[in-house]
Amino acid sequence: MKLDTSGLESIAPLFGASNELLDGLSTAPAFDLPSNVDLDGFLKETIQMVKPAKGTTTLAFIFKEGVIVAADSRASMGGYISSQSVKKIIEINPYMLGTMAGGAADCQFWHRNLGIKCRLHELANKRRISVTGASKLLANILYSYRGMGLSVGTMIAGWDETGPGLYYVDNDGGRLKGARFSVGSGSPYAYGVLDDGYRYDMSIEEAAELARRAIYHATFRDGASGGVASVYYVGPSGWKKLSGDDVGELHYHYYPVTAGTVEQEMVEVTGA
Amino acid sequence: MSKQQANWSPYDNNGGSCVAIAGADYCVVAADTRMSTGYSILTRDYSKICKLADKCFLASSGFQADVRALQKNLAARHLSYQHQHNKQMSCPAMAQLLSNTLYYKRFFPYYAFNVLGGLDSEGKGCVFTYDAVGSYEKVGYSAQGSGSTLIMPVLDKRLQSPSPLLLPPQDAVTPLSEEEAIDLVKTVFVAATERDIHTGDSVEIVVLNADGIRREHVELRKD
Amino acid sequence: MSIFEYNGSALVAMVGKNCFAIASDRRLGVNLQTIATDFQKIYKIHDRLYLGLSGLGTDAQTLYQRLVFRHKLYQLREERDMKPETFASLVSAILYEKRFGPYFCQPVIAGLSDEDKPFICTMDSIGAKELAKDFVVAGTASESLYGACEAMFKPDLEPEELFEVVSQALLSSVDRDCLSGWGGHVYVVTPTEVTERILKGRMD
Repeated sequence: MKLDTSGLESIAPLFGASNELLDGLSTAPAFDLPSNVDLDGFLKETIQMVKPAKGTTTLAFIFKEGVIVAADSRASMGGYISSQSVKKIIEINPYMLGTMAGGAADCQFWHRNLGIKCRLHELANKRRISVTGASKLLANILYSYRGMGLSVGTMIAGWDETGPGLYYVDNDGGRLKGARFSVGSGSPYAYGVLDDGYRYDMSIEEAAELARRAIYHATFRDGASGGVASVYYVGPSGWKKLSGDDVGELHYHYYPVTAGTVEQEMVEVTGA
Repeated sequence: MSKQQANWSPYDNNGGSCVAIAGADYCVVAADTRMSTGYSILTRDYSKICKLADKCFLASSGFQADVRALQKNLAARHLSYQHQHNKQMSCPAMAQLLSNTLYYKRFFPYYAFNVLGGLDSEGKGCVFTYDAVGSYEKVGYSAQGSGSTLIMPVLDKRLQSPSPLLLPPQDAVTPLSEEEAIDLVKTVFVAATERDIHTGDSVEIVVLNADGIRREHVELRKD
Repeated sequence: MSIFEYNGSALVAMVGKNCFAIASDRRLGVNLQTIATDFQKIYKIHDRLYLGLSGLGTDAQTLYQRLVFRHKLYQLREERDMKPETFASLVSAILYEKRFGPYFCQPVIAGLSDEDKPFICTMDSIGAKELAKDFVVAGTASESLYGACEAMFKPDLEPEELFEVVSQALLSSVDRDCLSGWGGHVYVVTPTEVTERILKGRMD
């Protein structure tokens, strides 16, 4: 098996490059593999043990003015919520965003790696990488690790010379171009709201509200989604965060409680 | 293929809980000192807290052998960093290094659950929390290890600050003073010791602030 | 995922000074999907005796109906309500009947005795009783609840303080659990009155 480790190389140390002591530390990093024949089985067991399998709701769509990207912020391990403040929308560069669903570490690491590669492309070619190009870089890496248990479901959204761009990339190398995606355990609920309210000629405000509502409804129904609903917009001048609302408060904003149902009258015990 | 490989299991869980709290001008890192395997206690006096730099402490629970390997790896890298840059690594830099170190073992992970606590360049407390394969997040407080599920709700209630993801952003500084934070740490460890068999014996508390480092030991239940 | 975690639940009962509180979350789900947010998990047996059933919803309802039936027979025969201790033994016996095909429920029983002494107890799905002097918890959020109650509980609380402690412990615990929450339901029972309150909680 050949792994694509290009881009993992760190810069050579300033001095003492041939120092034996440093060799183990500063040579191109590589992934340690267990000396086990059944790698796949081992990984399956191990990863279940240590990795927060992340329930998620993320969505992105293209409309007249650009791209909207939105996500919740919950990370869970089994039934336990390990964090309510995960940054699931990753800022790759000022014109491109990535979303994370699946393994938190896999998404964080490879998006960081993608950010480096995009910057190197920019320096080498004197212009920004296209969304098409960036998503393909990621898809190619993930394809080279196919069958090794990575868990990534991401959307790459951005603005390049051709206008708005949106791709879905996943861990077995799949890469789809589209105008509307939602990824994660809450995606069926998000799709429901999104498909119902989507029009190409929405204003930015309408689009942002649609995305926020879709995330909210997904967090309501999906146990593994929750926290803060963040909404980003990518336009010709780069991305901008439009809103970040605590879903706990958003519910009562959408559905204000009517006085009677919250607190009930005290009931006297009869015959006590 | 031999039978040995079918049962090959290189991991153990030595238990223990770690907590870190960041304040405006201090950081508290704490962990219990029990090391156990299954129902047996291996030792009652094992420090889970490791000093990585002058203003950076790592508390880790999980598999002790992996934790030690990880600590040695980080220490070596930090030494080489000091030789190359003639300074100590900052806490956020150490956080990123730890994340990458963990991820490079993605296919044969360190069975270690880490919390990194320290002071940043402005002297503000910062806490980073990790999963075993290197996903990390900067937080105001965190608990990891066998008692984390018991400790987190209590910390949430006392320390809950507005999420950093909110827009418009809201000030998210832990409202507690240093003394209150230390008291809270003691309370949560006493509570966790009551119900988690892998946590107990005593709790080691490291307090970092502008004056330097202070260590405290508080005895816990030993049963 | 375990069958006990299929519907999701959080239950807690706590003892105060001549009173007790029993509280639950309000979610009914199918694994991660939330079906209802007004599900009853605490059932009234009589004015001073409450039963909380965590675990599989369908078994909880069946078990409750069987217990009500047995309690009514007892009332007809004895012309009085069951004591909490007696009721706990009844639940335990009914659960053990199904030793090799159990109800997938973990009950929490809380009641006031004739001398106004609070009684709380929990048991596993096959009826092993566990009596406690302070608090008992059950459900998918039980670990979080143990931590929260252990840190917040104080002995001999007055009813209003007890309500506050139980509610805070419940809400902060279910906020760390995917499978329970969506509001809370609290009963505080004193010798003279029963207070029932619905808690507003995070709906995610």
